[in-house]
Amino acid sequence: MNETTFQPRIAAFLCNWCSYGAADLAGVSRLQYPALIQTIRIPCTGRMSPKFILQAFRRGVDGVWVSG
Amino acid sequence: MDKCIACGACSDKCPQKVLNEYNEGLDKRKAAHVQYAQAVPLKYCLDKDNCLYFLKGKCRACEKFCPAGAINYEQSETQREIKVGSVILSAGFQPFDPSIYSTYSYANSPNVVTALEFERILAASGPWMGHLVRPSDEMEPRKIAFLQCVGSRDMNICDHPYCSSVCCMYAIKEAIIAKEHSHDDLDVSIYYMDMRTFGKDFERYYEKAKKLGIHFIRSRVHTVDLLPDDSIRIQYATEQGDRKTDEFDMLVLSHGLEVSDSTVELARRLDVELGDHQFIRSGSFTPVATSRSGIYVCGALNGPKDIPISVMEASAAACAAAGNLSEARGTLVQEKEIPKPMDVTGDIPRVGVFVCSCGINIAGVVDVKAVAEYAKGLPYVTYVQNNLFSCSQDAQDNLTEVIRAQGLNRIVVAACTPRTHEPLFQETLQNAGLNKYLFEMANIRNQDSWVHTDNPEKATNKAMDLVRMAVAKVSLLEPLQEIQLSVNPGAMVIGGGLAGMNAALSLAKQGYETHLVERESHLGGTARQLRVTAQGEAVGPYLEQLIAKVEAEPLIKLHMETTIKDVDGFVGNFKTTLSTKEKEDSVEHGVTIIATGASEYKPREYAYGQHPKVLTHLELDAALTTGQVDPKSTNSVVFIQCVGSREPERPYCSKVCCTHSVETAIHFKEENPDCQVVILYRDIRTYGERELLYKEARSKGVLFIRFSLDHKPIVEVDGDGLKVTVYDQILKRDLLISADVVGLASAVVSNRAEDLAQMFKVSMDDDGWFLEAHQKLRPVDFATDGVFMCGLAHYPKPIEESIAQAQAAVSRAVTILSRDEMWLSGTVAFIDQNKCVGCGVCWTVCPYQAIDQNEKGLAVVNEALCKGCGTCVASCRSGAPNLRGFTTRDVMAQIEAMM
Amino acid sequence: MFARRRFAVLKNLLEYIGIEPGRLHFSWISSAEAEKFQKTAIKVCEAVTALGPAKHMIKEIGKVA
Repeated sequence: MNETTFQPRIAAFLCNWCSYGAADLAGVSRLQYPALIQTIRIPCTGRMSPKFILQAFRRGVDGVWVSG
Repeated sequence: MDKCIACGACSDKCPQKVLNEYNEGLDKRKAAHVQYAQAVPLKYCLDKDNCLYFLKGKCRACEKFCPAGAINYEQSETQREIKVGSVILSAGFQPFDPSIYSTYSYANSPNVVTALEFERILAASGPWMGHLVRPSDEMEPRKIAFLQCVGSRDMNICDHPYCSSVCCMYAIKEAIIAKEHSHDDLDVSIYYMDMRTFGKDFERYYEKAKKLGIHFIRSRVHTVDLLPDDSIRIQYATEQGDRKTDEFDMLVLSHGLEVSDSTVELARRLDVELGDHQFIRSGSFTPVATSRSGIYVCGALNGPKDIPISVMEASAAACAAAGNLSEARGTLVQEKEIPKPMDVTGDIPRVGVFVCSCGINIAGVVDVKAVAEYAKGLPYVTYVQNNLFSCSQDAQDNLTEVIRAQGLNRIVVAACTPRTHEPLFQETLQNAGLNKYLFEMANIRNQDSWVHTDNPEKATNKAMDLVRMAVAKVSLLEPLQEIQLSVNPGAMVIGGGLAGMNAALSLAKQGYETHLVERESHLGGTARQLRVTAQGEAVGPYLEQLIAKVEAEPLIKLHMETTIKDVDGFVGNFKTTLSTKEKEDSVEHGVTIIATGASEYKPREYAYGQHPKVLTHLELDAALTTGQVDPKSTNSVVFIQCVGSREPERPYCSKVCCTHSVETAIHFKEENPDCQVVILYRDIRTYGERELLYKEARSKGVLFIRFSLDHKPIVEVDGDGLKVTVYDQILKRDLLISADVVGLASAVVSNRAEDLAQMFKVSMDDDGWFLEAHQKLRPVDFATDGVFMCGLAHYPKPIEESIAQAQAAVSRAVTILSRDEMWLSGTVAFIDQNKCVGCGVCWTVCPYQAIDQNEKGLAVVNEALCKGCGTCVASCRSGAPNLRGFTTRDVMAQIEAMM
Repeated sequence: MFARRRFAVLKNLLEYIGIEPGRLHFSWISSAEAEKFQKTAIKVCEAVTALGPAKHMIKEIGKVA
């Protein structure tokens, strides 16, 4: 795969009360960012099991972002 | 307004730009605007004073471009008459306008800003998106100064003699945030008279600011000059009298709070009495009542105050306002009929996917038709529809019909965000007879079309991904049951002091039976030893009346000389074992208010205990009441402040001592003008209108001498009298004062009721104060549902704040007591007993103490306490806990569907 | 708090099994910090893009198909 056209897939686990809200607000403010991130909403970062991260990598994502 | 979908097209197309008042006029907005990004409801509006159509009769651009047909130029002011039993005034304050002050050059330089403007500059939603720049050239400042008490504690032109209470803290906060936002090592100085960090955890914050290198300079700046390069030169005198100058890139004026003319006008119209400084007058013992019966007040309208106390007062006012109306409670409520949800267990998922165009908000970027087409091919999907606006009323009606007609048992809506719209769709599901948890949203607007505007192809692909993940999850979801709990309509108040008694009486007034538990043989607590309030009202007679009322109230069950032995249960259903010398009793109640008070620190310093006339606050008050200390025969009295407070061992301010000493000093001077009265202090913290007492004390000849922590005064017994030595910072030498009486402003210390905290599953902070759920927004709630706090057990505070807090706790408690039953969220944790080994990790990590051990030593979730955070699930090594609605299987399905 | 501690350990584990630390990101963003969200999103995308495709944990069979 060519490095310049490489489009990674990134799994984002966002806390409903914090980062998920920030992501919504980023939308309201039309703040643009690359369309490489797929979000899974979690109730709280406390819910975040390491196995979610491992499983995401196993399924072939190129990056994982956990944000509280 | 119902039609507006908050897409922002109107604002986008609006040609008229005006100053944005939300950002203090530092940037511009359109005439068609939303007040601020987080406004609720999120609806755009036209500003009639600036809209071109209203000014010139033409334009109507917004109408043309609005995809929802939500623009209505015909809307006009309407007058309505509403019949109410009580009124609460909460009109707030306006910030002092420093432009009338030529001294500070506020009107002449863009780089001299008010603290509120600076707050907007620092804000992420502000004119520079949180980048610290100065307005004149948008360069990042390297050196900033804050000037305190602008418009407060002064009688200069048209400012105010009172202290505005909040400025010291907000200046420190802004200084710290400015340093965080700065790319260089920002140099920040705060010029102040007294640092008034008297609230809970405020003193620690002040110490933190000092450690971060913020300079605190005790001086009132007298001259501000503007330099040619837009920076600012200030001149001031140090405490020792030296003249100094310094230069800054920006100056922030910590302006105070005042009541606006329109609010004064409102108060006059309502015929409520105003105080000397236009704040609404209320009494120490009736902190939220105005002079007119049935009208109540809260917030800064009632005197300058910060957020926690305003929030507390808001609840208190609600309690007072509802007290007279308790019989009418619920009489206007209409019960809603909800059909019984159909049983879908064991049924094959039949998923309905509804893709919203949101006008052009989604459809303008994402190919919604393609997304809908794609959804049809996903597993278990049996029905797909594209809507122009999925949230509109007709779309809801349609959704209900389709669910029934197509026999759908799982629903995915691909639209905006579940944070705002999930409840709406869930309600529709309920109306259609579907369990509301069989629902999932795909956020293809806020987190897709709006943020990938220039990339329709990728946005469409992402929308498909999000829909696929939502379908994968929804197919696995199971109906969740919301548990119904009955609520015991009784309350328990622990502590029969001023706060506890007020809480009990307020509860009784609202019609609830209340158990008042007191450890001692008498009611009254600390207030028994107090003489007068800051407003000069006598405490003794009030307390006698209060005790008599409590004893006469049939709904209050008094439990004297009683302690709490054990607590079982949870919100709505507590079962508490009370213990007296003779017997044990079990009491059932729905809520608990903890009002266990605090104690006075017994000093080990300042010759305390070595001489009968070295007395703490409370002892001196008692001695003045009994006549053991008579001001008339006292020649010299010295007060020493911060005894045991603001020390490394107790790094908090006890809040009440400055006012108390000042008020006692005035009493000495009034009784005996020849008596020499000296107050040795570190900062005088007579916040709010208490500042007037400080002023009065100085005008009556009370001497104030400041000392520092490393040069504390020395008290020695000198024959029959006392000798106090203090190092005077201005004269730079020791002063020797002989005194007949030494009053020690001794700290307020926690009773550290650890056993109580454990029994009710509530927390305490490092200083032993009970820990509220949120310091600003939930100041009387514990994180544990159904338990509330008030009075000194929360933090040192004066009588009026204790009473307001007691009323606030009642108000919060009544939100539970007034219900016959409670419904708990279905999103709670559960434990697979076959997998649990009883290791205890989950109950240790649970932030809500919602996990108990059963008789086998295994974990069980108390669903009444669980908030569904899932921390237990992630921490268990055996995989025994799981979170309904967010099970490991559900999340894994989303991860699987991601690629 | 617990989340924070757990992830500190996880990062080491991932590195050990061959997943570069730059593929896993943690941040704390409040619901009002839209701009911080955007900036962090861009930063995460850039960091992961720079590392190229992740190959270590994908079963090769899946990749071929």
